Amino acid sequence: MGLLLVSGIISTWSLELHPTRGLNMSRSTFIVIPTHNEEGVIRSTLESLLTFDYTIVVVDDGSKDHTWEIVSTYPVIALRHPVNLGQGAALQTGMIFALQHGAQVIVHFDADGQHRAEDIQSLVDPIEGDLADVVLGSRFLRKEDTRAVPPLKRFILRGAVLVNGLLTGLWLSDAHNGMRAFSAAAARRIRLRENGYAHATEIIAEIRRLRLRYVERPTHVIYSSYAVSKGQSLWNSLNILIDLLLRKVFR
Amino acid sequence: MKPIQPILVLFLLLIAGVYFLRLRKKSYDRLIVIFFILSGVILVMMPDLSAEIARVVGVGRGVDLVLYLGLLGLSFVSLLLYAKLRDLEAALSELVRSIAIADARQPDETNQGEHSAPNQES
Repeated sequence: MGLLLVSGIISTWSLELHPTRGLNMSRSTFIVIPTHNEEGVIRSTLESLLTFDYTIVVVDDGSKDHTWEIVSTYPVIALRHPVNLGQGAALQTGMIFALQHGAQVIVHFDADGQHRAEDIQSLVDPIEGDLADVVLGSRFLRKEDTRAVPPLKRFILRGAVLVNGLLTGLWLSDAHNGMRAFSAAAARRIRLRENGYAHATEIIAEIRRLRLRYVERPTHVIYSSYAVSKGQSLWNSLNILIDLLLRKVFR
Repeated sequence: MKPIQPILVLFLLLIAGVYFLRLRKKSYDRLIVIFFILSGVILVMMPDLSAEIARVVGVGRGVDLVLYLGLLGLSFVSLLLYAKLRDLEAALSELVRSIAIADARQPDETNQGEHSAPNQES
């Protein structure tokens, strides 16, 4: 609690200290991109996003490579975790920052180039039209998207869908799709405690707990060799499962 | 008296000493530590007592009884430590988050000439 208070004071203080440094908040859709050692691909990801009129917030999660330096040369907001905490923690940091700066819609977007920037608007629309509080990307809604998923990956994801369904009671068509959109009100209520990759399941659990309105929208996932090498392996899936079970015990 | 007895008692007293000199804690913690150290010393000095208790609860030897209880105690302590670790992790996250937000780098401060968005106003 004390820390929360301190963080509140720090952020208020820094805003008052630099009143002229205010951000251009005309673009109230915030794209939150967590990065961790993405120097090889972050340029192309940012460049594809910058062709659209969104506010981009990169949260660098303690990268050891040149990700931070590269991100700093782009006209995006850049936040940096001094130490690596995990993707869930980076997303939570980005969401808090976005909410403090007037975001109406917050979109999660992976840094590794697996998502397409042109898919973002179809996730934002249901929120702007007040049809949903949360929109989840799914690569299994359209045949052409499903076909692009490698067979082993498809198999693992089917398992993850099952685990998510059993743990949260919410049955979706995809699991661990990094692309999601939240209304500001929904983002304010969701609090990610899972610092690692288990946040994907935690979000679903929060949707259920808070009784948020959700829809799934098709997204195309590009399986470049880079994205595959950075992505979830079978071994990692096991780690996520253990995280989820520990969470049930320890809260 | 067997040679192992003074050695074990010495170690127990050493642990108690380190605890009280280095890790000053709340009073109920101290009571628990005193209780465990005292029962340790008693069991070491009177091995027949543990054998008697073991017989009553249906365990073969006194040493086995102490081993089982010790294992349970250790598991309990590691669980407590794990819970504590998670609390620490949560506190660290909170701290790192507030630093990241306070030090946010905004587009205005960077050299925008290099990569500027096509449809940005400024």
